[in-house]
Amino acid sequence: MYIQQAIALVIIVFFIIRLFKQRRDKNVNQQEFGFWLVFWVCAGLAIIALPYIDAWLSRLGFSSSGIEFLLYLAVAVLFYFIFRLRLHIARLEKDLTTIVRELALREKK
Amino acid sequence: MQSIFVVIPAYNEEESIVSVLRDIQAADYDYHIVVVDDCSIDETATRAEQAGVIVLRHVVNRGQGAALKTGTEYAIRQGADVVVHFDADGQFVANEITDVIAPLMSGEADIVFGSRFLAGKKQSDVPFVKRAIILPLARLFHRFFGVRLSDPQSGFRAFRADAFPKIAWQQDRMAHCSEIIFNALQNKLCVREVPITVIYREFGQRFSGGLKIIKDIFFHSFIK
Repeated sequence: MYIQQAIALVIIVFFIIRLFKQRRDKNVNQQEFGFWLVFWVCAGLAIIALPYIDAWLSRLGFSSSGIEFLLYLAVAVLFYFIFRLRLHIARLEKDLTTIVRELALREKK
Repeated sequence: MQSIFVVIPAYNEEESIVSVLRDIQAADYDYHIVVVDDCSIDETATRAEQAGVIVLRHVVNRGQGAALKTGTEYAIRQGADVVVHFDADGQFVANEITDVIAPLMSGEADIVFGSRFLAGKKQSDVPFVKRAIILPLARLFHRFFGVRLSDPQSGFRAFRADAFPKIAWQQDRMAHCSEIIFNALQNKLCVREVPITVIYREFGQRFSGGLKIIKDIFFHSFIK
């Protein structure tokens, strides 16, 4: 294992400990806790499996290394999360409009 | 006599709202006028109330599309036969409401859109950038979806009350213009365009506004 992998794993363990602390203090609900736990465990596994990802990518004919692949994957996942967030905001906006409209119409009844 | 409601969304229009309402009230027809104050921070609502029209208030600013829908729902509940959408900033001519509703009254159309670009005696002094760049791009965008109207961003429109369920728009902001056209064509409503005059006091919708419309349409296509 390279020193960089060890540092990355220490950082991930730190975030997992923080996550358990947040759960204990009831700052995150069960669903959020589960999501982030799976996320960080997957990130840790990906770091451990970097040499295998390197080999897999080269077998597929790509010249990039495993860590670059993980970086691209992370950017793609981030874009997806932003998209989901935008959709969530759009739904909230729609609900807000419904309430505002109902209030305006009720006032004139 | 048909019950015709003129719905006017207004946001911080205290300077123009009174003259707009007076012009409509001075018309030959006895229109029911509904102003939807979209949470203005000025005296728009008070002045409209003093002018003797119905005023609905949004407690949070929700945009022109949302205000129009609130006013339209109110009009339909009050038994409107025809609903006209009109602007509060004085850019439309009140006397032209009769031209816009004429195809509805004669049964030729279900929905009528005012157009700045139809050939006729009416001339709108459209700013050059808008005429030469923004509106051709808007037309191109709409043609991509099969819309062949000369003025896809016109806010001056009228429709029969029974057409409302078919065009009911979800867009709260400026994308409602496109959505209403798409819905009307998709539901095979009888659509007409009539020439109107637009008086430009401000530039109005900018290129960035057009991009925002595309973005709004994109995100809303994922929401049920």
